[in-house]
Amino acid sequence: MSVVGILPNPASGKDIRRLVAAGASVDNLEKVKIVRRVLAGLAATGVEQVLLMPDWFDIGRRALEGLRLPFPVTVLEMPLSFTQEDTALAARLMRERRARCLVTVGGDGTNRAAAKESGDVPLLPISTGTNNVFPTPVEGTLAGVAAGLVACGHVAPDACLLRARRLEVEREGRLLDIALVDVAVCTDRSTGARAVWDTSTVSEVIIADVRPGVIGLSSLGAALGDSGRPPGAGLRARLGPGPYRALVPLLPGVIQWVEVASSEPLEVGAAVALDPRWGVLALDGEREVLLTPDTHLTVRLSAEGPWVVDVPAALGAASRAGHFRKPADTGETGGRGP
Amino acid sequence: MTLTRERAIDMYRTAWTIRLFEERMAEVYLEGKRPAFDIGSGPVPGEMHLSAGQEPVAVGVCAHLRADDTVVGTHRAHHFAIAKGVDLRRMAAEIFGKVTGLGRGKGGHMHLFDPATRFSCSGIVGASLPPACGAALAAKKRGTDSVAVAFFGEGAANQGSFHESLNLAGLWKLPVVFVCEDNAWAISVPKGKSTAVADNSVRAAGYGMPGVRIADNDLLAVYEAAGAAVERARRGEGPSFLEVETYRFFGHFQGDPEVYRPPDEVARLKARDPLPRFAEQLLRQGLVTPQDLDAARGEAARAVEDAIAFARESPYPDPADALLHVFA
Repeated sequence: MSVVGILPNPASGKDIRRLVAAGASVDNLEKVKIVRRVLAGLAATGVEQVLLMPDWFDIGRRALEGLRLPFPVTVLEMPLSFTQEDTALAARLMRERRARCLVTVGGDGTNRAAAKESGDVPLLPISTGTNNVFPTPVEGTLAGVAAGLVACGHVAPDACLLRARRLEVEREGRLLDIALVDVAVCTDRSTGARAVWDTSTVSEVIIADVRPGVIGLSSLGAALGDSGRPPGAGLRARLGPGPYRALVPLLPGVIQWVEVASSEPLEVGAAVALDPRWGVLALDGEREVLLTPDTHLTVRLSAEGPWVVDVPAALGAASRAGHFRKPADTGETGGRGP
Repeated sequence: MTLTRERAIDMYRTAWTIRLFEERMAEVYLEGKRPAFDIGSGPVPGEMHLSAGQEPVAVGVCAHLRADDTVVGTHRAHHFAIAKGVDLRRMAAEIFGKVTGLGRGKGGHMHLFDPATRFSCSGIVGASLPPACGAALAAKKRGTDSVAVAFFGEGAANQGSFHESLNLAGLWKLPVVFVCEDNAWAISVPKGKSTAVADNSVRAAGYGMPGVRIADNDLLAVYEAAGAAVERARRGEGPSFLEVETYRFFGHFQGDPEVYRPPDEVARLKARDPLPRFAEQLLRQGLVTPQDLDAARGEAARAVEDAIAFARESPYPDPADALLHVFA
């Protein structure tokens, strides 16, 4: 059965980066419209069931108002904690109900939470956050079509699925948490307003995937160049006075020169020990875990992160297979489409 | 944003001063009002709106303010007044209706005015925003870097004064910070039944200013965001908007039967009490010692008892003065 899950995050797009940078504001009513677009896209693909994550603003139910859809939609029955745990729990429940694609509507944090429980079910991330690396801006309708194509098996997985990396934060050999983009150690003494917005408070950063064209701390990787770094390796950099300065687009509208004391490649499968100190650990740009000098953590770069739908690739594969056309003389008005 | 040990202890002391003052006031308020509740009797007559649970909003914002900055509060304003530095004795005396009070005992708990700390409040919903804009305009005209803060509830964000004030502040780039206390209840009306948007913070975009929402009544998150907003205002970059999800432990007013509230809501909110969470964060980070926190809480308790005693012992205004100081 072709089942798709949709996980809208009611909390994304509202944090301090609107105040300290030129971050965009995203109201939950806009997320309602995004989910409506996704549902419209899914309706064009033959999907047989859609599962929605509940949330305090009822984004899912609001999106359904007045819609006539060719598949049943179920809002999951689950307790809400009003934290990122809701996204993780919904991802687990959807995986257990055999969802074949999970559409996330949020930012890096939303996807990090979903990826904790999504297993091998591919994610299709729609960005509503501020400076996201993992999810990219994608039109909801197209995302819905792509998710439906994947869930229905209309496109081959190897044509449109990519496997992301993940950073595994371990304490005494046990997995403590994960990040999809970067892990940073900040000198702040609290989680504060969560988002990392001042590089002067960052003492070191581990980057999963060094690539240009991204915003946030992970942009440091590409800024430092490839000198001596094996192809495909991640990066660990300590910030502070040293041999390099790197120009980092940290936030929307904020570009900072960052002093880099040292950097070293991080091969897939390898782990590094974080420098113990008072501070706070930031995962994918959000301060999450308080650290003390007794907190000994390692970060491992794993190639086994979540599978991710490449929307243009999925749509392209379906186009080439003739999925979106049919002879004009059939007299039908729908076909697989709406 | 750097938080020093001294600042952390100061904020903790202020938060506990608010909490203990409100809890003490809840007891005092009931004196003389039993067995049948009579709002006009006892040492503190009239309505009483207490702010226990909402300390993070006041403390996190006011920690960034100076004496020359203006704060305008709401009908539930004790926490703002205490955090702004209003003299606790004179505030308590005002609430008791005593001549030693901020307004010579003629204002009561919803009308606390203190020129020394530039603090005021009002019983009218949404009335805090226009005067804060006025104070901000004055600072701008005078060329100072003083700022103004308007505190208001999420219910007030549906009043005309809210929209008019945000419009003018955005247009004139006034050094004002709008702080919306979202305690989920406009008296008994839940936010979802009265507000067309999920977050008032996004309404800020319509008036050309940044808006941020802070979840889960997190004092240090408020502190950081408020610091950025206040600094923006001081730099002349104009107004900002903060919406803080906060928790109202008491009813809308003392004596409120709270039949509109889910029976387990208060217990659930108290399980997320922001004060122990604040203490835990400070301790886990090694910023303070348990002794520091105990001492600060002890000082807060003594200050509250001293203020209540001062209020009790102070005389009432002379009836002959009833018509004096009534008009500005």
